[in-house]
Amino acid sequence: MTAILRRLASHDADGSGTLRLCELAAELTAVSGASIILLSDELAQGSLCTTDGVAVYLDDLQFTLGEGPSIDAHVAGRPVLEPDLAAPFDARWPALTPTAVGAGIRAMFAFPLRVGTVRLGALTLFRDTPGELTDAQHADALAMATVSTRTILTMQADAPPGSVAGELEERSNFHFVVHQAAGMVSVQLGIGVTESLVRLRSHAFLTDVPIDEVARDIVDRRLRLDGKGLD
Amino acid sequence: MSREALLVRTLVELADNLVEEFDVIDVLTVLSDRCVEVLDVDSAGVMLAAPGGELQVVASSSAAMRGLELFELQANEGPCVDCFVTGDPIVNLELNADDDRWPRFASRAVADGFHSVHALPMHLRGTTVGALNMFRTSLGSLHSDDVLVAQALADVATIAIIQHQASVGAAVLNTQLSEALNSRIIIEQAKGKVSEASGLDMERSFQRIRNHARNHNLRLTELARGIAEGTTSIIGLDPLPRTQPVRSISSNPWPGLGAPPD
Repeated sequence: MTAILRRLASHDADGSGTLRLCELAAELTAVSGASIILLSDELAQGSLCTTDGVAVYLDDLQFTLGEGPSIDAHVAGRPVLEPDLAAPFDARWPALTPTAVGAGIRAMFAFPLRVGTVRLGALTLFRDTPGELTDAQHADALAMATVSTRTILTMQADAPPGSVAGELEERSNFHFVVHQAAGMVSVQLGIGVTESLVRLRSHAFLTDVPIDEVARDIVDRRLRLDGKGLD
Repeated sequence: MSREALLVRTLVELADNLVEEFDVIDVLTVLSDRCVEVLDVDSAGVMLAAPGGELQVVASSSAAMRGLELFELQANEGPCVDCFVTGDPIVNLELNADDDRWPRFASRAVADGFHSVHALPMHLRGTTVGALNMFRTSLGSLHSDDVLVAQALADVATIAIIQHQASVGAAVLNTQLSEALNSRIIIEQAKGKVSEASGLDMERSFQRIRNHARNHNLRLTELARGIAEGTTSIIGLDPLPRTQPVRSISSNPWPGLGAPPD
């Protein structure tokens, strides 16, 4: 374990891409996959990196539902561990849990990305089998969260003022199309943008369509949430 | 607590010591205390380079250790000084009172009851920022695993310290990152509203917002926020200058510059 930490510490100094962070985290902790979500307050802003389609699915689920371990870990500033989603110790995330289990996810572990009081989001690990992380895996995940935080901030340090570092955007999905659609829905329904986002989220969840696809359909004028005819 | 468990706890403690009341001396005191608990050494201490480059004793597991380290600095000789200067570890060095490498340090250390010394560098990106010293009262070698563990602890403590030093910078960077993202989000929302209200596509909607901001000397993000929040009317936005189809003659006397200046 000490050797791994040393490897991480030296690896980090090289400045690696965000995808490598997710892949390393999943590899070190022997889980099915991992993602890094950026959060602001209690809102998921989007994913910096995802190891695979399942990771994308889980991130989208948390973005859509506004609940899940990554959000809780970010808000509480401590790890949030669910070693058995199918038989949870206490029932959190009423919408996310059955959906994730239905998709074959059995365990999720979220670790906050923080430096002191600064919080960026969460590193989330998931597995298709239930079971706790070992002490060593837990320690590796914590170390990986620390390294990820530092890497993200180091990358952002090179960004021009007012913009997100290119390296951070490379593998990211900040759901910009969802915000475009929210603007359109806001005009269509005569409601605020925040409420429009809620409508979009519930539509995506109820129809079981990824929220980016729902948003794309709205932007391309193939879908309206008010049931009115399309041009 | 088993050795492995204590080690895990120490690593987490060192790496996670990034709370508001973070204190470099606390972290390094934890490091030197844990070295004594986990490893086969009797005393441990940490020296760090001050901003000016000179070494300072920062933490010691015992008063005897602290006294010896201070002596080492005054005499400007000893394992810690050498380790810091060369950046190389010094492991399992046995001390004799008539040592010719560090004559003054060795006789003092032996008088204090120490018979073997180890010093490991604290590296960051190729620079040595300090050294971890471990002294034993008995002769005999430190197990190679112990050396590896000590170096790992020192590495993690180094990262924690550097991270703390960067934490003020981290707060600024995080604010920049989240403000940049929020601006983008608000601009996308404003584009969506303009697109729906005026029938333009997203690209043209963005041009219309940017065009209006330029014409009226407004910050793009502020204008977008007004549109997204509904405090700025979309109808009131300057219309886009007509695009110029390739073969038609433009009626816009200010092509590409937006609306005519007031």
